Amino acid sequence: MKSFGKNMWKHRTHVIMTLPVMILMIMFSYIPMSGVILAFKKYNYTLGMWKSPWVGLDNFKFLVASKSTFLNMTGNTLMYYVIFTLLGTFLNIVLAIAIDQLVFKKLGKTLQSVMIIPVFISYAAVQFIVFAYLNSNTGLINNLFGTSTRWYTESQYWPLILTIVKMWSSVGYGSVLYMSVLAGIDQEQYEAAQIDGANKWQQIKSITIPSLIPMITIMLLLSVGGIMRSDTGLFYQVTRNSGVLYDTTQVIDSYVLNSIFQNSNFGFTAATALFQSLVGTILIIISNFVVRKLEPDNALF
Amino acid sequence: MRENKEDKVVYKTRKKIGKGQYILTFCLSLYTLFCALPILLVFVSAFTDESCFSSEGFTYFPSRWSTDGFMAVLKYGKQLAVSYGVTIGVTLSGTLLGLLLMSMFAYALTRKDFPLRRFMTVFITIPMLFSGGQLASYIINTNLYHMKDNILILILPLCVSTMNIIIMRTYIKGSVPEELMESARIDGAGEWRTFFQITLPLMKPCLASVGFMMATAYWNDWQSALLYITSDSKKPLQLLLINISKSIDTLLNSKNVPSSALAAMQGSIPSNSATMATVLIVIGPIMIAYPFFQKYFVKGITMGSVKG
Repeated sequence: MKSFGKNMWKHRTHVIMTLPVMILMIMFSYIPMSGVILAFKKYNYTLGMWKSPWVGLDNFKFLVASKSTFLNMTGNTLMYYVIFTLLGTFLNIVLAIAIDQLVFKKLGKTLQSVMIIPVFISYAAVQFIVFAYLNSNTGLINNLFGTSTRWYTESQYWPLILTIVKMWSSVGYGSVLYMSVLAGIDQEQYEAAQIDGANKWQQIKSITIPSLIPMITIMLLLSVGGIMRSDTGLFYQVTRNSGVLYDTTQVIDSYVLNSIFQNSNFGFTAATALFQSLVGTILIIISNFVVRKLEPDNALF
Repeated sequence: MRENKEDKVVYKTRKKIGKGQYILTFCLSLYTLFCALPILLVFVSAFTDESCFSSEGFTYFPSRWSTDGFMAVLKYGKQLAVSYGVTIGVTLSGTLLGLLLMSMFAYALTRKDFPLRRFMTVFITIPMLFSGGQLASYIINTNLYHMKDNILILILPLCVSTMNIIIMRTYIKGSVPEELMESARIDGAGEWRTFFQITLPLMKPCLASVGFMMATAYWNDWQSALLYITSDSKKPLQLLLINISKSIDTLLNSKNVPSSALAAMQGSIPSNSATMATVLIVIGPIMIAYPFFQKYFVKGITMGSVKG
């Protein structure tokens, strides 16, 4: 013990160096973790989180009782996760291979730079762009096709709209990672394949794609941990938080945000949040375990 | 290495540019257009004459151009200037503070004889595994820290993140030569001096890539502003943007407002072109900064996915 203390004193500079990050993480990550007890309490603003009365599992009973809301938003969260992840990964790869195959390298770089820009535009700004396309009176889409669809009141279109917006925003950026893998492929492999008479498609099928598989696997596995979380801005801002669209656009994160603003249903929300956090934790641990087995360098921990 | 390069040159010159390449170029250009057109629409609409919107709607080819939208934005310019100040202040201070604190932490983590190394690694990993969620954070921040309408709430929670610390640690391990730091210590430099004069300057590429990503996150953060900021003097750009749409919405959705009143208010309703001008002003700086940082953050993305 004494030697530990002595050791610590010797490294006091390092301890001081780590302190600020520790304090910030305790304040904004660790202490909020205690908030999960809200799931078992009836929250009262004046009493605060700690003194609010315990209600046992009442909040969860409420959650089961109003299960249509709960199931709807959980279902939406999962649905968008699946669409965004599968389609997103597919498009990332297609784009990465396409740019990589392009002989005009300079042009490819320039085009790629433009494709990345949308990721830097916040959804608070994107909503205005989407509105310019979709609003029923002056929107570009209705004008162009001579229709008068009221996009913002018809929920069946929104899975498609949100998917397009999400892909627009993220595919260019997402392909960068795969491009860096492709840049690492030994060119001699392609030459050897060419000498053996393989055409472009065969080369892509038997050299390019197999070399991407490890990265794809890892990215998919790592994304599993975020299955219950969504891009809140996409669902809250881009839909203009329109209530009539909720049955296809409400996800857990946007529901929580709404309940904070309306200052209501804290018990139900806390129960949902605990469910969300627990599922996330379990999935991260499992997926990390698998990644660790496959490719220890890419494991998160 | 050199041999490899020559091979590539031979490979390239031997290759004839086939029809497929032109099809590929066409497809990629088409996709680039798909990415760029929405942004172009912001530019065009910001300079479209307001009367065009009612007759032609949003269009890439308005019949009349005008700078009225921009002028209208400049008229409520005081709030815009304040918001710009807030956003720039938050972005700069948050990014710089975060870079400093996290690189210090990462530096300590790479010291092999630091006794708390394992503990610290676990300590920063746990928040990645479990989080209390938005609601809990909101209640703690407002009820326990009383940070409602405090500018610090825009800065501190986004300041440090596990992923960035890991990226920095990997970078120090891989790209800052251990011998250099060791020799500085032998020459009598303390840990602070070694960190500030040897390690930190050598981390520049890593700081640039992490810094740009952080700055973008700060610049685009609308959620904390919406949750916590209430006074106009602390309103960042993103919140200003959101509020513009709110005021349009309430005006247009209230059926009780007589049409004559609406017409009288015409001047004060933020018009389409003014809204788009604001959007342009909000997203502009990031787009100007982006080309300068592009080469760094491409590296950053790759670093983030593979840790050493």
